Amino acid sequence: MSSGSTLMEIVMDGISRGAVYALVALGYTMVYGVLGMINFAHGEVFMIGMFACVYAIGVFSVAWGDHALLNLGLGILVAMIFSAAYGYANERIAYRRLRKAHALAPLTSAIGISTFLQYFIFLTVSKEKVPFPRFYSDFLTSHSLTIGPLEITYLRLAILGTTLLIMAGLFHLINRTRLGIALRATAQDQLMASLVGIPVDKIIAFTFILGSALAAIAGVMVAMYTNVLVFDAGYRVGLKAFTAAILGGIGNVPGAVLGAMILGLTEALTTLQFGSEWNDVTTFAVLMLVLLLRPRGLLGERVADKV
Amino acid sequence: MRMARWRPYLLGLLGLAAITFPFLWLQLAPDFDKNTVGVVWAPQHGLEFFGDMSTVFVIGFLIWVGVQVNRRFGLDKALAANAVWQKAGSIWTHSWAWLVVPLIFLIVPLSIRTDAMRAAGTAPWVSTSTLGLFTFVGLYMLLAVGLNITVGMTGLLVLGYAGFYAFGAYFFALSQQYFSFFPWWLAAPLAFVLGGGVGYLLGLPCLRLRGDYLAIVTLGFAEAFRELMRNLDVTGGDKGIVLKDSSIFRAFAGLSHSQVCYAVTALVLVLTVFLVQRLCHSPVGRAWIAIRENEVAAEAVGVPVVQMKLLAFSLSAAIAAVAGVIYGAKDGFVSPAMCEFQQSIMVLAMVILGGLGNSYGALLGAGLLYLVPEYLKVLPSAIQNSPALSAIVPGFVRDSFQHLSDYRWLLFGVVMVLMMLYRPQGLIGGSRRKTEMLHT
Repeated sequence: MSSGSTLMEIVMDGISRGAVYALVALGYTMVYGVLGMINFAHGEVFMIGMFACVYAIGVFSVAWGDHALLNLGLGILVAMIFSAAYGYANERIAYRRLRKAHALAPLTSAIGISTFLQYFIFLTVSKEKVPFPRFYSDFLTSHSLTIGPLEITYLRLAILGTTLLIMAGLFHLINRTRLGIALRATAQDQLMASLVGIPVDKIIAFTFILGSALAAIAGVMVAMYTNVLVFDAGYRVGLKAFTAAILGGIGNVPGAVLGAMILGLTEALTTLQFGSEWNDVTTFAVLMLVLLLRPRGLLGERVADKV
Repeated sequence: MRMARWRPYLLGLLGLAAITFPFLWLQLAPDFDKNTVGVVWAPQHGLEFFGDMSTVFVIGFLIWVGVQVNRRFGLDKALAANAVWQKAGSIWTHSWAWLVVPLIFLIVPLSIRTDAMRAAGTAPWVSTSTLGLFTFVGLYMLLAVGLNITVGMTGLLVLGYAGFYAFGAYFFALSQQYFSFFPWWLAAPLAFVLGGGVGYLLGLPCLRLRGDYLAIVTLGFAEAFRELMRNLDVTGGDKGIVLKDSSIFRAFAGLSHSQVCYAVTALVLVLTVFLVQRLCHSPVGRAWIAIRENEVAAEAVGVPVVQMKLLAFSLSAAIAAVAGVIYGAKDGFVSPAMCEFQQSIMVLAMVILGGLGNSYGALLGAGLLYLVPEYLKVLPSAIQNSPALSAIVPGFVRDSFQHLSDYRWLLFGVVMVLMMLYRPQGLIGGSRRKTEMLHT
C-alpha cells in the first residue's frame, strides 16, 4: 500500500470518528449555549439510544420477522424517541429547578443522573458487553465503495452522509427559522426572551430533545461500527465529545464540529502511530495544548463576565 | 381540586414507567446463528430490581414521613429554640471544638491492643477486619476533606480527584523500586509537594478561565493517567506494582500491621483536618468562600482570585497524593483501578451528602457512604442467625440488603440529584448555605 493511500485512509477514519463525536458534541454545546451548564448526562442519553435501538429491533423482529432495512430504520426512530424522552426527563427532573442555582448545583445533579443511568442499565440490562445484531449492520459493513485507491464501507458513507445532512439541517434551523431565532434569543438572555413572548421553558426542553435525538443517531452508528453495546459506552464517547466541544469553544455550534473533526483525526493518527490504547493520553494532551494556547477554544469568543 | 394537584406527578410516573419499560420488563435474546436479536417478556427481571430496591424505598419513605412531620409540627424550630441544643450547636463554632470529630474517630476503635494483652487472651476490642474497614473509612475521609477544599470551599468542580490519589500511590510505588531505602514516611511529604505541583500545573491553564473547565481537565487527567499507567512497562500494566516489604507499614512497637495502618491513617487525618480547618478560618478561607459566592465581586474587592483558586486546588491534590501513599503503604499494592471514574464520583458524593464547604460534613458523608453499604452486606447473615428477626423480616428484604452493595453506584447518583434538589447545603449546613446554593 502506498503512503498516499494510507494517509487517505487515516483521514477517512478520522473524519468518520469525528462525525460521530460531532453529533454528540452538538448536544453538549447547544445545552451549554442555552443554559451555561455542562450536561454530563448527555453521554448516557447516547448510550440509552444504543440500547433502545437494539430492544426495538428485537421487538420488531419478534413481531413481524427479520426485515433488515425496515427494522433498522424503525429501530433508529425508536432510539431517537427514547433518547429524546430521557433527555427531556433529565431536564424536567434534575435541571429545571436548579436553573437559577449556583453553577455547582446543576452540574452535580447532572453527574448524579449520569451515574444513575449508567448503573440502571448495568443492573437491569447487562453487566457485560451486548453484541449488536450483525444481521442488521452486515449489508453496511461488508459492502464498500472504491474510489481510486480508497475503499470506503457503506457504513462510513452512511455515517458521513447522515452527519452532513444533520449538520446542514441544524444550521438551517438555528440560523434561518423562527425557532432558531427563539433559541438564540434564549441563549442570549432568558429574561428578555421571555419578555418578548418566547416560551423559554419550551425552548430549553426543545434543546434537550433535539440534542438527545442527535445523540441517539450517533449511538446507533457507533453500535453498528463497533458491534458492541456496553453500559459505560456513553461515558467514554461523552468524554471525547465533550472535549471536542471545549476544543472548538463551548457554546459554539460550528466549533463543536471543528473540534470533533480535530479529535477524530488525532485519534486516527494515534491509533496508527502508537496503538488505540494511547487515545486518551493524546486526547488529553491536545486538550491541554488548546487550553494553554487558546483558552476559549478554537472558535470561542470572549464574553464579558456577568455578576 | 386534589386530583389536579396530583395529575402532573401521575403523568410523570406514567412517563417514567413507559421509558424504563423495555429495560426493566423485557430481556434481549440474541440469536447467534442468524446474528439477529429478539426479546422475551421477563417480568422476574423487573420484580427482582424492585425487590432489591425495597429497602431503599422503605428508607426513602421514612425520610419523607419525617420531613412531613417536621413540616407539620415545626420540630426543627422547636429544637433550635431549645437551650441545650443551642449550646450543642454553639460548640461547633468554637475554634477548637472541630478536634472532637477526628478524635472520636481516633479513640472509638481503641484497638491498640498490645502483645501482652494478646498473650493474656483478652478479647480484641475490634477485630482486624473492622480495623481494615475503618482504615478505609479514614482514607475516604481524608479524600473527602481534601476534595471539599476545592468543591465545597472554593466552588470549583473536580471530577478526576482519584487521579491525584493514584498519582500519589504510583509515585510511592515507582520510587521505592529505585531506592533501597524509601519508607512511607519519607514518601508522604514528598508526595504532598509533588501532588500539589501537579495540581498547580493542571490548574494553571484552566483556572484562569471562568466556568467548568477544571472539571473536564481533571477528568481527562485521571483518564489519561490511568491509560498511561496501564500501557507503560515500568508500571506493570493492568497488574500494577507490588511494593517492597521494607517500604510499607510493618508491625511496630507491639502493634499489629492493621493497627499501625489504622493509627497512621487516623493521625494523618487529624493533622489534615486541623490544618484545613485552621486555613478555612484564616483570610485564605474567607477568600475561598468569597470566590465561591461571587467570583467577580471577589475580584473587585481585591481577592487574588487565580492564586487563591490555584492554592485551593493544589492543596486538594496534595492531600489526595498523601492518601495515595498511605493506601500504597497499607495494601502494598497499587493498580490502575485506583483512578477509575467511580472512585472520583464516590468521593464527590461523600462531600455533597455531608455538606459542601464543611469539613465535618465531608467526614460524616465519607463515614455514611462507605459504612452503610458495608454493614448492609453483613446484615442478612445477622438476620439469618437470629430466629426472631428471620421470622419478622421477609425474604426479599434480606436479599435486598445483600444486593444493595451492587446498587451502591445507582444510589450515589440518586443521592446526588436529590441532595441538589432538596438539600443543597448537605446534611450539615446552615440555611445561609442553602440560600447561597439556590439563588445566585
